[in-house]
Amino acid sequence: MTGHTYEICLALGVLSPMIGFWLLVFGGRVLGKPGAGWFALVTGMGVPLVLATYVLLCWLRVDDATRAALTENAARFHWATIGGVSIDIGIKLDSLTIAMFFMVTFIAFWIFFFSIGYMSGHSDEVDGKRKYWRFFAYLSLFAFSMLGLVVSSNLLFLFIFWELVGLCSYLLIGFYFHEPTPQYAQIKAFVTNRVGDFGFLIGMMLVFFHLKTLDLDQAAVVFGEQYAAGSGIFASGFTMFGWSLATILGIGLFCGAMGKSAQFPLHVWLPDAMAGPTPVSALIHAATMVAAGVYLVARVFRLMTPEALMFVAAIGCITLTLMALIALVQVDIKKCLAYSTLSQLGYMIFGMGCGAWVAALFHLVTHAFFKAMLFLGSGQVIEGCHHVQDMRRMGGLRKKMPVTCWTFFIGVLAISGAGIAGVKVGGAGIGLGGFFSKDEILAVAYVRSHEWTSYERVEEGHGGGHGSDEHASAVKVGASRVILASDPAHGDSGHGSTAHGASAHGGSHATGKAAIFENTPPLPKWMFYLALATAYITPFYMMRAWWMTFMGKPRDQHVYDHAHETPMMYIPLAVLAGGTAFASYFVFRDLFAHAAPDATDAAMVLAIDGTTHTPAMSAAHSYLVYAVGGSFVAGFALAIGIYGRGLDVAEKIKRTAGPLHTLLEKKYFIDELYHLVWIKGCLVVATVARFFDTWVLDLAYNLLGSATERFAVFIGRFVDVHGVDGIVNGISKTSLDVSDVVRSPQTGRIRSYVMFAAMVAAVVILILVFKPEPSHRLLIPSVASLGG
Amino acid sequence: MLTIGLTHYLIVAVVLFCAGLYTMMTKRNAIGILIGVELVLNSATVNLVAFDRYLGGQKLDGQITALFVIVLAAAEAAIAVGICINVYSNLGTVDVDRASRLQG
Repeated sequence: MTGHTYEICLALGVLSPMIGFWLLVFGGRVLGKPGAGWFALVTGMGVPLVLATYVLLCWLRVDDATRAALTENAARFHWATIGGVSIDIGIKLDSLTIAMFFMVTFIAFWIFFFSIGYMSGHSDEVDGKRKYWRFFAYLSLFAFSMLGLVVSSNLLFLFIFWELVGLCSYLLIGFYFHEPTPQYAQIKAFVTNRVGDFGFLIGMMLVFFHLKTLDLDQAAVVFGEQYAAGSGIFASGFTMFGWSLATILGIGLFCGAMGKSAQFPLHVWLPDAMAGPTPVSALIHAATMVAAGVYLVARVFRLMTPEALMFVAAIGCITLTLMALIALVQVDIKKCLAYSTLSQLGYMIFGMGCGAWVAALFHLVTHAFFKAMLFLGSGQVIEGCHHVQDMRRMGGLRKKMPVTCWTFFIGVLAISGAGIAGVKVGGAGIGLGGFFSKDEILAVAYVRSHEWTSYERVEEGHGGGHGSDEHASAVKVGASRVILASDPAHGDSGHGSTAHGASAHGGSHATGKAAIFENTPPLPKWMFYLALATAYITPFYMMRAWWMTFMGKPRDQHVYDHAHETPMMYIPLAVLAGGTAFASYFVFRDLFAHAAPDATDAAMVLAIDGTTHTPAMSAAHSYLVYAVGGSFVAGFALAIGIYGRGLDVAEKIKRTAGPLHTLLEKKYFIDELYHLVWIKGCLVVATVARFFDTWVLDLAYNLLGSATERFAVFIGRFVDVHGVDGIVNGISKTSLDVSDVVRSPQTGRIRSYVMFAAMVAAVVILILVFKPEPSHRLLIPSVASLGG
Repeated sequence: MLTIGLTHYLIVAVVLFCAGLYTMMTKRNAIGILIGVELVLNSATVNLVAFDRYLGGQKLDGQITALFVIVLAAAEAAIAVGICINVYSNLGTVDVDRASRLQG
């Protein structure tokens, strides 16, 4: 491919679902029940998937220099100029975009496919109206928005698509809007996201105001220049909570991610969002949309100060721990997966905060594959069991739905980070998904928390000036890079180091890598230990869910008898299971590692990834790999130990740990707290406002109104009747009187008119004749003179 | 021997004028009034010719104007008779006192 073919393909891929959306909106009724679904599958995701595959394959074949040139020359169209800031519409063409684009289209395609099977078993009537086609129209709109979000090169357009995916999420959570639960859930999701978007807007305004651009790349360059010069946003003396304005910028943007990626304390909407149809949960609330927050952080990584990143890491760490603990006690299969999603999103955000840019995105992709599969599996289970979601009523379903059972098991292995530590086949480690990605996040966290001080900076000799840096491929600021002094070689002791792809990109990007070492503090040790401990919790609750659902003996014979699975629904499961394995090994991590140097170079950001990452991992991995890689064994063993023989053991533990269990089951009472603080608070404020309204404002208005009314009556009775009307009537009466007088000579008798005329003429003549004026005599000669 | 001068012509004109005016003021018959009008016009014609003869120059302005007046009178008479016929067809009479519909 040459020229702008990449952008054109991506743009067509974005527009195709939108066209599909409009056609479905207006013509969905005609297409009918299965037709609309197949139509959406083709236009909404089939076309983008083909294009994405084509783009991905072409992109993989070109070398780094070509890629850099393509990124540099990506088309931009001027859209508007606001306050002197030019806003361009364009496509951010880099490895990250292409990887995300492919990931979204691939997963979404199979979820669309699944949806057709899922919806065929569901009533599609709401309020007596068929809305089967509407479901696919919403899905298409979501596909358009999500793909648009991924390709946006501009923060403003990213925000627009950001809100569009929020809208789609709202519409799809509340798809069954005739029931109360989805209604509340959709409103909760929307409102909670607005809280986060408020922060996003603040961050965006700071970018607009101080960096004078909304383009992602330009903003990062300007940010770095301002840091180096101490000007612009860094010259501001403004602080809040001890954060500088530059930090607030990063935290503000991160607030948007907190809402969308459901990070503590804005996580409350995601579990409730499971009220939507299961394919929606899989697509939007597990695989793609919730990952948009992580994607956003990755995109604005260069605008984050170390303080902001520390905040990001702290939030991610809190989320991943608390949510994993809640997942322990969930009995609803979808809720269990929802909390697991929250925890994994916490891992990603935590990874971003640590600087594990590549690892976090890698985890995003692997998680998207296996979590989409897990959700679809749960959808198959729920569908097969006739809408039973309580795992306590399931059990033994492996015989009834074998494909679902074993694909689900692959998902469980992947999320648990199952793999065989230290063993490699054909240069690649043996493991699934989380075995590489989660492990990498933990390795970086370990380096940041334990071995940080043993790093040493290697000066590149560029000084601090950005003007002297001639490396075109990187942001032109900063001077130093970080490597691990004790292990300069690209070690191979880590189990996933081939997949980590360090060698492919060599030192070409490393030379420009900028880091201000002393500004980046070490990570608090508790964060690492919490993340590590959660890595042990994850396999436990996933295995618990799987065992309760598929293994053991049927606990509800009625449910068991009716359970079944259908090919329309388990084919996507099998494909995604394959995708999980595929995503674990190939392509994606290399692409992210390729995108990392450009995306993470910034004046004050230390990114441990790509080239500089692998050595760091090598040292840590020698023992960490057994601690992390073995976690799934411990988790599985414990889960099977407790749930292996039914629910009796679990009941005993539950009784023993009564208050703790209640705390977890009630989700730390956060919903109740929010209800008390925000909703009740709103009601109190509303009551006070109403009181004020009634007794102060309304009273004043009523008094004013009453006074006005009385004044109007006075005006009407006196001024109007006697004044205004009097004048008008007086004029007309006078006119009548005058006309009576004037018309009296007009008798209608021609003889009297003749007499008047003659008399007037006579009088005039007499006056003229007898007036002793010489001038008149000249005009009318006297009788005497005439006689002469 | 009495020489006929301007004054005599003017006296004739005055007599004609007064007779015409009197006729206009006293007659109720529209045709009578029309005759009065003709008398008044003729008195004016007499004046014009007389003044031209005794006071005018070589150009005969007055006499030409008199010719115009005669033509005008003929036209006026034609219109007036037309009015009379219309009055008659509307009212069944030519009594001008009856034609007082436009009185104030």
